[in-house]
Amino acid sequence: MRSADHGPGFPAYRMTAGFDRFRWMGPALAGLVFVFLLAPFAALLFATDWPDFHFADGDLGAIRTSLLYSALALIISVLAGTPLAWWLARGQGRGKWFLDALLMLPLLTPPLALGILLSSFYGPYSPVGSLFSHAGIYLTNTAPAFILAQIYGAMPYYIIAARAAFEGVPRELEQISRTLGRNRFQTFWRVTLPLARIGLSAGVALAWVRAMGEFGIVLIVAYFPEGIPVKLWVNLQDIGLSAVYPLLWIFFLVAVPLPLWIGLRARRQTQAMF
Amino acid sequence: MQQPLALDISLQVHGFTVLLGVSGVGKSSLLKAIAGLLPAQVNPYGDLAVEQRPIAYLPQGYALFPHLRAWENVAFPLSRSAHRHKDALALLQRVGLEDLANRFPSELSGGQKQRVALARALARKPQLLLLDEPTSALDMATRDEVLDELVREVHEFGIPVLAVSHDPHLAMLADHMAILRDGRIVQEGAPGEVFARPRHVASARLLGFRNFLSGQIAGSEHNSRLQVAGSGWQMQAGWQPALSVGMPVQLAMRAEDIYLQEDGAAHCCPNPLSVQVKACRKEGLSMRLYLEGPASLEMLLSRQQAEDAQIAVGNFLKVCVQPRHVQVMTAE
Repeated sequence: MRSADHGPGFPAYRMTAGFDRFRWMGPALAGLVFVFLLAPFAALLFATDWPDFHFADGDLGAIRTSLLYSALALIISVLAGTPLAWWLARGQGRGKWFLDALLMLPLLTPPLALGILLSSFYGPYSPVGSLFSHAGIYLTNTAPAFILAQIYGAMPYYIIAARAAFEGVPRELEQISRTLGRNRFQTFWRVTLPLARIGLSAGVALAWVRAMGEFGIVLIVAYFPEGIPVKLWVNLQDIGLSAVYPLLWIFFLVAVPLPLWIGLRARRQTQAMF
Repeated sequence: MQQPLALDISLQVHGFTVLLGVSGVGKSSLLKAIAGLLPAQVNPYGDLAVEQRPIAYLPQGYALFPHLRAWENVAFPLSRSAHRHKDALALLQRVGLEDLANRFPSELSGGQKQRVALARALARKPQLLLLDEPTSALDMATRDEVLDELVREVHEFGIPVLAVSHDPHLAMLADHMAILRDGRIVQEGAPGEVFARPRHVASARLLGFRNFLSGQIAGSEHNSRLQVAGSGWQMQAGWQPALSVGMPVQLAMRAEDIYLQEDGAAHCCPNPLSVQVKACRKEGLSMRLYLEGPASLEMLLSRQQAEDAQIAVGNFLKVCVQPRHVQVMTAE
């Protein structure tokens, strides 16, 4: 169609229509990906036998175990991982790229392989394991073992996220804080942490869901006590799908709130800043 | 010392002191070294940790904490006590911003941010205040306001200030100034002296001199005049010791110091110059003329004068410059 057919205003109109046509592609693509990710869960909605919703023996114990030990593993991961993340973000040193590569190792290792590794390293017949067993702590198939396995699974993720969060805090602000009379620790507490809040909360949320969902490592290192992921496996083996779905729903119910709450709180507190 | 600075400087700070230097010469690094943010040997304060030095540092971006309100920023260096909030508000009042105490830095304008940063620095009760390019990020109007206030605050609070800048206008307001080049202080003194007698061509350029001529000393009348000659021109300058006949020198003149010679006053001008106007450019309320004569020259006229003289490109003009406005420097 030539512009002569529709008057001098036509080309402008045509350009706008084209622009509009491409504008919904972004949301459409996002929607597609979203559907792709959540479709299996929607299917779960239909596959669950709602009238006959009941738990197998030991399910409630598994829920308690998972919640309690994941929380402990999370606290330890955050307390121990934060200084390392801080040092990686700020420390000077020429070999840092090498340490980054090393940090990737626990992440790269297939969970079962990592479990075997931990078993041989912390097992009762290894040098480290026998040291601990002299102190009365056994690091296989016990609660400490369970927490240990979760820490190995979750802490690297937290460190990576926390490091990115610290790197995002402008160094100049920390320097200014020091010139204003605050020492390193006060600066960290009053300047770095508040500004890294969003990234850190993402790290905590990530570490939580990893700890809760850790299966491979836990399977080898601490088959007992049973957390939810192992119990799901046991239920599947011993009973069948009907025993898996109810526990799975409860898993979502208990695992999701914490990361959600942390994320919302961090975002609300940071809103006024920028 | 892990990375020694390539500067070796000893500088006096009286009242409001400005260190002038081109961009990239290491002025910011110098301030950071004094504050302790860069490893260096500093005397005094050198053996103290950053947080122990009684120095306040204001970087170029002001570095206000975005997660704290204005009064909380100011209260940051204050120790926790019952009257912390009140003290912070009092400091904000001194800089005229008590109404904005509850705002976040993202809600403040550039000039306001600088004042909050200044109040915060003063809360530290420093013995020395370091300012990095205090006027670069501001528009002309705010700059003049902020500068006046800054100088007033400094004298009121009685804290010596070391400001670094590439802006000669800032140096003009100072109590004391120094020029930094190639890692050394090349000239230091009261602004009146330094502006009147720059020692090197590079310094003169930094101080805003626009006209440079190369020549030789042709004659010298002790304590009276110097005669300088170049290719096709002769000029008289104020006498300076240590310059003898035959020495190669550089002359510097400010664009503002060249003026139009009125007809009939020719015999009063010791340095007459015949020039042709190559180009002219309006600069706000002034007119900058680019002239061609014994050398390429620039002249700055007020708008009124330019209009009165009806200057156009291609005109031939007679201009003059007083000997006391001709700076003589040894050629480098």
